[in-house]
Amino acid sequence: MTQLVRKELRDQRRALIGWGTGLMAMVLLYSSFWPSVRDNADQFASYLENIPDALRSVIGELSLGTPVGYLQSELFSFLGPALILVFAIGAGARSLAGEEEQGTLDLLVVTPITRRMIVLQKSAAMALTAFGLGVVLWISVVVVGRLFGLEVTIPHIAAAILHLLLLGVAFGAIAMFLGAWRGRRAVAIGVTSALAVGTFILNAFAPTVDGFEWAARLSPFFYYGDSLPLRNGLHIGHAGVLVALAAIALIATVASFDRRDLRT
Amino acid sequence: MTGGVSIALHGLTKRYGTRRGIEDVSLTVAPGEVFGFLGPNGAGKTTTIRTMLDLLRPSAGRATLLGLDSHDDAVEIHRSVGYLPGDFVAYRRMSGRRYLEFFAEMRNVPFGTVEALSRRFACDLEPQIASLSHGNAQKLGVIQALMHRPRLLILDEPTQGLDPLIQRVFHELMREIAAEGRTVFLSSHVLPEVERMCDRVGIIGDGRLLGVEDVGDLRAKSIRVLEFHFATPVPATAFADLPGVSDLEVHGDTVRCSVRGAVDSVLKAAARYEVVDLRSHEPGLEELFLEYYPTAEEAS
Repeated sequence: MTQLVRKELRDQRRALIGWGTGLMAMVLLYSSFWPSVRDNADQFASYLENIPDALRSVIGELSLGTPVGYLQSELFSFLGPALILVFAIGAGARSLAGEEEQGTLDLLVVTPITRRMIVLQKSAAMALTAFGLGVVLWISVVVVGRLFGLEVTIPHIAAAILHLLLLGVAFGAIAMFLGAWRGRRAVAIGVTSALAVGTFILNAFAPTVDGFEWAARLSPFFYYGDSLPLRNGLHIGHAGVLVALAAIALIATVASFDRRDLRT
Repeated sequence: MTGGVSIALHGLTKRYGTRRGIEDVSLTVAPGEVFGFLGPNGAGKTTTIRTMLDLLRPSAGRATLLGLDSHDDAVEIHRSVGYLPGDFVAYRRMSGRRYLEFFAEMRNVPFGTVEALSRRFACDLEPQIASLSHGNAQKLGVIQALMHRPRLLILDEPTQGLDPLIQRVFHELMREIAAEGRTVFLSSHVLPEVERMCDRVGIIGDGRLLGVEDVGDLRAKSIRVLEFHFATPVPATAFADLPGVSDLEVHGDTVRCSVRGAVDSVLKAAARYEVVDLRSHEPGLEELFLEYYPTAEEAS
């Protein structure tokens, strides 16, 4: 029953190696800056006092001079989410719409498994791939970070990465849904990316506008980072919201893919 | 089981917003038949096939395959049907072997069956599919459709791009499959190919089924153009008033005429002289349409 999952994982092999290497390089690069940042913590602190509120709400209120603050601001506030989202949105859009555009979907649908099963197996493969990337990232941060004295407790790193993965999975599922619904990869990538940028900005700016602080809660990024999982560990409620978002997108994917005419 | 019918279409209709689909297509195909679905490009062949396979949902009417409803029993149908899409595309980055392995796994087929078919089609499974010629990639599509010994084969323009030698292997296989009581439904826009392979032909034009003909009748009624070259000039009178002959042109040692049905009388008339060369032009699809369905042509 898992032939399609295995095929998808195999197809993702190259992507997985590429992205894994990229993430490791990113961690290595930022970790190597850590010693000099730590030694000049005062300077960075005064620099941070002058940045706009919106940017501060993105990178958090933590001090750059602590390992948690440094990792949070350098890896987990912007670059990490950006990379994971590019990966997840691309994979989600390619999953169904990509096959449909290439013309390989017809034969897949004419195998003796239901369309629903195709969606489920493909999403399972995507989630597994994301999870694999998460493990690579986790090991990199733990091992490479330690080499440069960037010490954060291992479970907290895992919690932050889990939040990151769930953010990616949620947006990946939205991209998959749009691809399943319209059958066009470019539409899925474009709309989901716009949605990601929009909700990122919403999450950054809403807290700085009096009376609109609540609006940040409409953004998936709020549930990704507001609880500061790198310092505070997993936030079950917030993680649950991201899981629910992914689940809703998955149900919508099955529903729209199941009833649609496939394009040639 | 199947109630003796492999395919039954009842008023099958598919309308797309503004584009033309198919309108009220009804036909039945019996087990053991090789049924040709003939029509020019854009007539609705692919739409009909994809609606039968639940890739498209009918706007009206229904399709029953092997006694099962095309939508409600889609998975069961997919298990017993082999399908080759028109414009077949494989996963380009896989090798042929990996590609067929995947479908063998999806269909629970031992790979030995696949290898036997590959040998028959002289198909090299090792290169990456992206590097294959169109014809060699098409073989993978044909093997994929045949590997699970389906009771019903639905093939959309199957011989496109196959070289003549492989086409012959393909024709043989279709015959074998029919002899085993399995059914073949194949579309084509080339009349001679359908004549060679099929028992009956459904002719579709402009989204409507114009008729279903026996291939034998089609041949008997079809007009073909014969052109003789003789060693010496022949008298025009030798070919005048032959049954079924029209548009007679005699220029010295060359005779050209159209013959409907049997060519016997013309050949016997010609045999009285020394024939250097004889050419026969098969009627094309357009001629066939004009001949059979003048009203359809006028309507479009």
